[in-house]
Amino acid sequence: MTDPVEAPAEVRPRIHIEKVVKSFSGRVVVDVDEMVLGEHPIEGLIGPNGAGKTTLMRMIMHSTALDQGRITLLPSGAEGEQIELSQLPTHHMASHGVVKSNQVIMDFEKLTIWDSLLLALAGAKYEQPLRIFSESDLFQESAETAREFLDFFSFGDPFGHAESAGEKKLLDIVRCLMLKPKFLLLDEPTAGLPDETTDKVMQVVRELAVSGTSIVIVEHDLNVIWSLSDQVHFMAEGSVVMRGDPKTIRENHTVVEKYLGEGHV
Amino acid sequence: MNLDWLDAFLVSGLFFVVMIIGLALLLHIQLGLARIANFGVVGFWGIGMYSFGVLFVKVDWPFGDPWPFLISAAFGSVVAGLSGLLVGWLIADLDEDGVLVGTLGFATAVWILATTEQDLTGGALGMGGLRFPYDIGTVKANETLWLVLLIIVVALILYYVHRVHRAPYGRLLTAIGDNEPLARSLGKATFRTKIWLFAFASAGMGLLGAMYGVMERFLETANIGIDITLAAIVGLILGGTARVWGAVIGVAISVGVFDILVQSYLPLPRDWYSQAIPVLREAIFGAVLIIVLLFRPLGVLGDMRRDKLMRSMHGD
Repeated sequence: MTDPVEAPAEVRPRIHIEKVVKSFSGRVVVDVDEMVLGEHPIEGLIGPNGAGKTTLMRMIMHSTALDQGRITLLPSGAEGEQIELSQLPTHHMASHGVVKSNQVIMDFEKLTIWDSLLLALAGAKYEQPLRIFSESDLFQESAETAREFLDFFSFGDPFGHAESAGEKKLLDIVRCLMLKPKFLLLDEPTAGLPDETTDKVMQVVRELAVSGTSIVIVEHDLNVIWSLSDQVHFMAEGSVVMRGDPKTIRENHTVVEKYLGEGHV
Repeated sequence: MNLDWLDAFLVSGLFFVVMIIGLALLLHIQLGLARIANFGVVGFWGIGMYSFGVLFVKVDWPFGDPWPFLISAAFGSVVAGLSGLLVGWLIADLDEDGVLVGTLGFATAVWILATTEQDLTGGALGMGGLRFPYDIGTVKANETLWLVLLIIVVALILYYVHRVHRAPYGRLLTAIGDNEPLARSLGKATFRTKIWLFAFASAGMGLLGAMYGVMERFLETANIGIDITLAAIVGLILGGTARVWGAVIGVAISVGVFDILVQSYLPLPRDWYSQAIPVLREAIFGAVLIIVLLFRPLGVLGDMRRDKLMRSMHGD
């Protein structure tokens, strides 16, 4: 991968979550009073199953509607322009640089790995009904970027389809990287990936963070969280019950172990 | 030109087959790529045909051929395209059942309009006054030239579909058909893409309707029944919804074999033609649909092979 260029801290985008509530069938799944994501380059979001982590991620992406509250993107830190994500159509998220990988495996069964990358890289100008000769222009513009990632992650046959669950999971992350995210949400990115690939994903995540992208990782493998995050939010029963740097969270092992079980800290 | 060797039945039979191939190709983009099951093909085709016919017949044209035809055909296509835009907007976010009912409902609405708006369409009595935008001699010569022009139009549609498979637009449609939420999360405006797809494909169907109207010279509401939709769907599913040539091969071996070989060249009793054959045709097409869906749901040609396609386009 290319050497990252360190970005000044004030341009790091933040997401401001205010009084956000979501219930399913009368059961409150998310109830977050106030939360700011992106104050640190890489933040971890942890908690037991059913804590509302994935639902909160989906609410940020507006793929799950909010019952109440407001989620705002501050593209250049705390000051200046604000974009209310909870009012945006889902497909506008990517154009604002807010991108999320999926917890469950999501893939295009009919598209090859190359297709997936070119799809993510193609701007709307290439995808018009009458632009039936634009593939070569798109390929010329995008092939180098795509090839760099295909080689780095050593996909088996990039002209074929993603076969294994791990390959599909990785492809989902790589598609997100193609979108040049400014705020990247990774929902259990390393689940089902081989160790070697996990290391590569973590390397790319670190490089992205250094170059100015804000990253939030939801992860059950706490080793990933402890080694990668600068800040950890601990969610339980829909709310954030604790936040701090990994060291602080680990010091509160009685709280963490109450929810996650012994041996996680 | 001496056309004695050419059978008049063959010209009209071929015209119908080629036109259904055109409709099936347009349906292929909707159903095969974007997975939108449009059961209202005849509605878009019919509204194009009637809009064309009404303008062509009712206006006292100040200019000579081929302008009245060209302007009326453009009008028919635009009306069909706008209908597609409207129907697409209504159904784009519905599930498969909703799309089926919505598109079928549209086709029914077109039929009812054509039947009840007697002042414009002639209603059940039909509307005459259509003609070829040229006269090169005999009826057979005119019809043969019209068939050649239709073949050129459908060949252009085939080429367009062939290119769409090789263009970012085709990849986007395939992605939307495959996993729309995922495509949306990659920043793709899936709703807009689907309604414009509906508009463009419907405009094409409308143009084919206008060309059919000229060939028939007489518009009847009996023309805009479900059999046009059924022929296009059966042909496409038989050939393979996901493949470019699926529409061509499927329609050729269903509509082509039945409407040309069976109807025109088998020595069947005369009285079968008015009642038995049309019913038999629908029954056979229905049976073909069931058998294909049970035993070879991807059709004769099978699934799309993007791995092969991508390798041929971008492989070393």
